[in-house]
Amino acid sequence: MRLRAVLRFARTLVATNLRASLALRGAFWLQAVLMVVNNVAFFTMWWILFARFREIGGWRLQDMMTLFGIVAPGFGLAVVFGGGARQLARAIVDGQLDSRLTQPKPVLLHAVASQSTASGWGDVLTGAGMLYLAGRLDLAHAPFIALAIAVSALTFVASAVIFQSLAFWLGDVEQLARQLWEFTLNFALYPQPLFAGSLSFILYTLLPAGFVGFLPVEIVRSPSLHACLYALGGAVLWWTLAIAVFTAGLRRYESGNRFGATGS
Amino acid sequence: MSAARLAVVGGKYLALAGAAARRCIAERAVLVGRVVFLGVIIFTFSRIWAVIGARESLPGVGVRELLWYLAITEWVVLGTPPMFLAIEREVRSGDFACRLVRPIDYMGAQIAEAVGEAALRMAALAPAGALYALAFGGGLPADPRGLWLALPLALLGSLVAILFMAAIGLSAFWVVDTNPCFLVWQKLVFVLGGLLFPLEIYPEWLQRLAHLTPFPLICWAPGRMALGWEPQLALSAALQDLFWIGLLAGLVMFLSAQARARLTVAGG
Repeated sequence: MRLRAVLRFARTLVATNLRASLALRGAFWLQAVLMVVNNVAFFTMWWILFARFREIGGWRLQDMMTLFGIVAPGFGLAVVFGGGARQLARAIVDGQLDSRLTQPKPVLLHAVASQSTASGWGDVLTGAGMLYLAGRLDLAHAPFIALAIAVSALTFVASAVIFQSLAFWLGDVEQLARQLWEFTLNFALYPQPLFAGSLSFILYTLLPAGFVGFLPVEIVRSPSLHACLYALGGAVLWWTLAIAVFTAGLRRYESGNRFGATGS
Repeated sequence: MSAARLAVVGGKYLALAGAAARRCIAERAVLVGRVVFLGVIIFTFSRIWAVIGARESLPGVGVRELLWYLAITEWVVLGTPPMFLAIEREVRSGDFACRLVRPIDYMGAQIAEAVGEAALRMAALAPAGALYALAFGGGLPADPRGLWLALPLALLGSLVAILFMAAIGLSAFWVVDTNPCFLVWQKLVFVLGGLLFPLEIYPEWLQRLAHLTPFPLICWAPGRMALGWEPQLALSAALQDLFWIGLLAGLVMFLSAQARARLTVAGG
């Protein structure tokens, strides 16, 4: 399948999902607003800590806001445009990939981009607010912010694909995969200096918190060509791994022998 | 109510609580997930306190005490089952009406099941939380006697949380989707309850605001016992717990009666 056709297919999937989300306008806004409230409540913790201690491991409140301003939209965009990645394990175990395998479209792209979570827009809004409060929302920072968020979102989706694809070999790992993903998000929302030594190694390998949070935020905190290349390299590496793992797993996939229809 | 009748009714609720606990054992993977999650949270905060703890977060309170505080608050929160989901599900599906014909009070049965599940969850999480606090904090709090007081306060705090969730579940009769109500309540517990660190670290005005609400009884009151021996404080918190349990039980009964009336008028 040619690249242009793949991109057109991806664009159609995304547009269809967005239309589906917006069709239930009340629920859409409620979910988005609640996610903002949820995020602000979580951030209260940092506000209280920094109000008392000023600095944690060399980080100030502005740095935390920047981190939140990158990771929250990264996560938000990941679940808005790649919401299906979180359901992959269930689809694999239940044999729900059958309908996608019969279509002349990339299976992984189809499975990942065929679902969208409206609450992710709340994360995007929160991130914009945090970056504004951190004083980073200006033209000079804009390209670095865009790159950092894109890298974070891409790595979030790639890591979800890898965790969920374990179902090809291990069976029902939905809970485990979800938990690994949540741990990744959890660690990415804390200042990097807290995790030194061997733990730092884990956060760049088993759980890619370094690639969804630590590296992208450095692009914005202290922009440099090196920081951009490292972060981009991380995203490319995780996507290469994700595609390799999913493709290898797909060879072991067994049909669910189910009859049904799929809308997208 | 005679003693014999009381024993029969009590036996029914106990049987329901036992069945819920056994169901919880069957879902081992979820329980293990919670135990691991508790470890991740305590570990993460051990790193935070290790970095800032040297500057004395609170007078006379060290990293070790703060980690025990967190272990206790998370123990209560992770130990309390989200019972509002079961109520919402039954209201939506119409099963609520079917359950009313059973010879046992609907909300009483729901609360008994939640208590049974909470007992099992808390029994599983307690040793894990203690081990994490010991491992990452490097030992018991300076005055470990307070941990004995944390136990009853945690159980009372969990009951307060269960009654809140029962009320949230019943709100399904009016709002259908109870998740927004739950999320708001959860965040109030997170912030005003002092889930992650003692309220004493908060700005003065926020501390005062928090103490006007029942949320500190769920987290702060039991967790505070890890920071020192405070029997007077524990007694005061226990009395407040009992007051709020009475008030919330009344609210749940009122909502339940309103829900039944609504069901009679509108149908199941």
